[in-house]
Amino acid sequence: METVNKLGRILLVEDDPKDVELTLTALEEYNLANEVIVARDGEEALEYLYSRGKFMTRSSGNPSVMLLDLKLPKVDGLEVLKQIKSEEKLRMIPVVVLTSSKEEKDMVASYRLGVNAYVVKPVDFHEFVNAIKELGIFWAVINEPPPGSVRK
Amino acid sequence: MAQSKLQLRIAQSSVLRYGLAVASVTIAIPIGLFLEHHEFHRGAIPLFLLAVALSAWYGGAGPAMLATVLSTLSFDYYFAPPVHNLNFTLADVPAFFFLLTFGALITGFSAVRRRVEAELLQARNRLEIEVAKRTQQASLLNLTHDTIFVRDMSDNILYWNRGAEELYGWTPEQAIGKSSHELLRTVFPSPLDDIETEFLRTGRWEGELKHMKADGTEVVVSSRWSLRRDEQEQPIAVLETNNDITVRKRREQEIQNLNRELAKRSMELEAINKELEAFAYSVSHDLRAPLRHMAGYTELLQKKASSALDEKSKHYVLMMLDSAKRMGNLIDDLLAFSRIGRAETQKTLFSLTQLVREALTEVREDAEGRNIAWKIGALPDFYGDRSMLRLVLVNLISNAIKFTRTRTQAEIEIGCANGNSADLVVFVRDNGVGFDMKYVNKLFGVFQRLHDSGAFEGTGIGLATVQRIIHRHEGKVWAEGAIDSGATFYFSAPKP
Repeated sequence: METVNKLGRILLVEDDPKDVELTLTALEEYNLANEVIVARDGEEALEYLYSRGKFMTRSSGNPSVMLLDLKLPKVDGLEVLKQIKSEEKLRMIPVVVLTSSKEEKDMVASYRLGVNAYVVKPVDFHEFVNAIKELGIFWAVINEPPPGSVRK
Repeated sequence: MAQSKLQLRIAQSSVLRYGLAVASVTIAIPIGLFLEHHEFHRGAIPLFLLAVALSAWYGGAGPAMLATVLSTLSFDYYFAPPVHNLNFTLADVPAFFFLLTFGALITGFSAVRRRVEAELLQARNRLEIEVAKRTQQASLLNLTHDTIFVRDMSDNILYWNRGAEELYGWTPEQAIGKSSHELLRTVFPSPLDDIETEFLRTGRWEGELKHMKADGTEVVVSSRWSLRRDEQEQPIAVLETNNDITVRKRREQEIQNLNRELAKRSMELEAINKELEAFAYSVSHDLRAPLRHMAGYTELLQKKASSALDEKSKHYVLMMLDSAKRMGNLIDDLLAFSRIGRAETQKTLFSLTQLVREALTEVREDAEGRNIAWKIGALPDFYGDRSMLRLVLVNLISNAIKFTRTRTQAEIEIGCANGNSADLVVFVRDNGVGFDMKYVNKLFGVFQRLHDSGAFEGTGIGLATVQRIIHRHEGKVWAEGAIDSGATFYFSAPKP
């Protein structure tokens, strides 16, 4: 695919290894998985974004998009979202909440904090793969990310 | 009357009064002459004085004066020598002097007496008017059923009306003279000294008191005191008016208790709701994740191993996927159902006709390729939560479509039945497979199904959702049907 060359970096924040595997599988299917960083909880996600802890030596630059689960150990998704959106350096990163929760209050809270998209993970795998594909293509390929984002 | 008794002593008309003077002197003359004839000299003078006295007593000062003059002249004419003319000798001067002096004295006394009598009469009249006024006031106070008593500044009861007797049970005879606070064992809302200070300053006090009745029961009264002062502005008495508010106080207390209980209950309910919300959230998030994984991995397996699987194994995989999907639907329906219980209803007035049209659009897919005769009657306006009501209609109509599937010509009727004056009743009727009335009470239960899922798919939550929504609108749901003869579902709600 010619789009591969300018594929954006995706930060996937997801604690469930099966969800990680299925998401990666879905992304792989459409060759969108070359640059996916996985954070297992909110703290790790913040460590990556601030280049600290185990991500101290990572290459610089913000991800093109961040796929964020809400229910996370240590620091939950809404808290991560809040911190990102209140930080001058990070607030431009597009954030997509990718969650099992259809709860209206989660949705309202996310939008209030400035989330760029809110996607409920479909139970049906076809739909799930489709959703991930669309997200990957839109945010990592079609969308022009803000300056300072990493593109390969 | 006392007044008339006093007046009787004095002759009423002046003719009588002066006539009395003339008559008494005239009578005195022959008696005097008779005494003179029997050698009883000077007997006439006391007789004349008696005549003057009689005139004074019954006639007053004027007749007494006339009697004095007439007596003097008669004495001169009949008794003082030379008799039968008005000349007199020096020897008779003392007798004249005596007569005139006593006559004048008696007249004087009579005048004084009459003045005193008149004053006394006036005083008595005033007193009588005052007594009458007071008696009237007291009997007026007795007419009211309000409790009124008067006490002096040392708290001794001076007056006790009928209302007080009725409320407290003591007669005026028992109460008057007692200390009111002791008799009634008054409980004051604040220290008595404070109350009295304020009372003496303003002349008024209002508040709630607790009193003990004669039978030992307690009453709560709303009490009003007003201060009475004398001409020197010195406080002399307190008029206390009390209204029995025991029942009201008890009701207030009951209401307070109920409110407290209600607050406690609603707090408990809130806690339960929170728990339920947490539970629903957990179901929403945690239950769906493993389901998604099962479906995901099964799908991947199907993709990877499809060529290696025989037909039977392929069928198994298909069934696994189907079950996962079904469970996903169940969870979604259950969540929607629980959300209806928690969501705030946003009520507006809207047209049911319009809403039925929208619901029909929504279920169009289900009706595709089917031969359905729709009969939609006139529908009223509805006051309620529009999106919830749409869910009700969608559920009922899609049920009707579903359960008429076996009919070559399905008939579905939506209309308005005759309710009572307060409620409107809407129904959805079909000619489908119907149900056994034996199980009618199971229709609206969560997860209750009257048909096997092979024949008619469904999660068993639709009618439970309908019921919950209608209950939240203070309405009722019910159904009529018979096996193979169709079913009618009704819901009612208060008219807008």
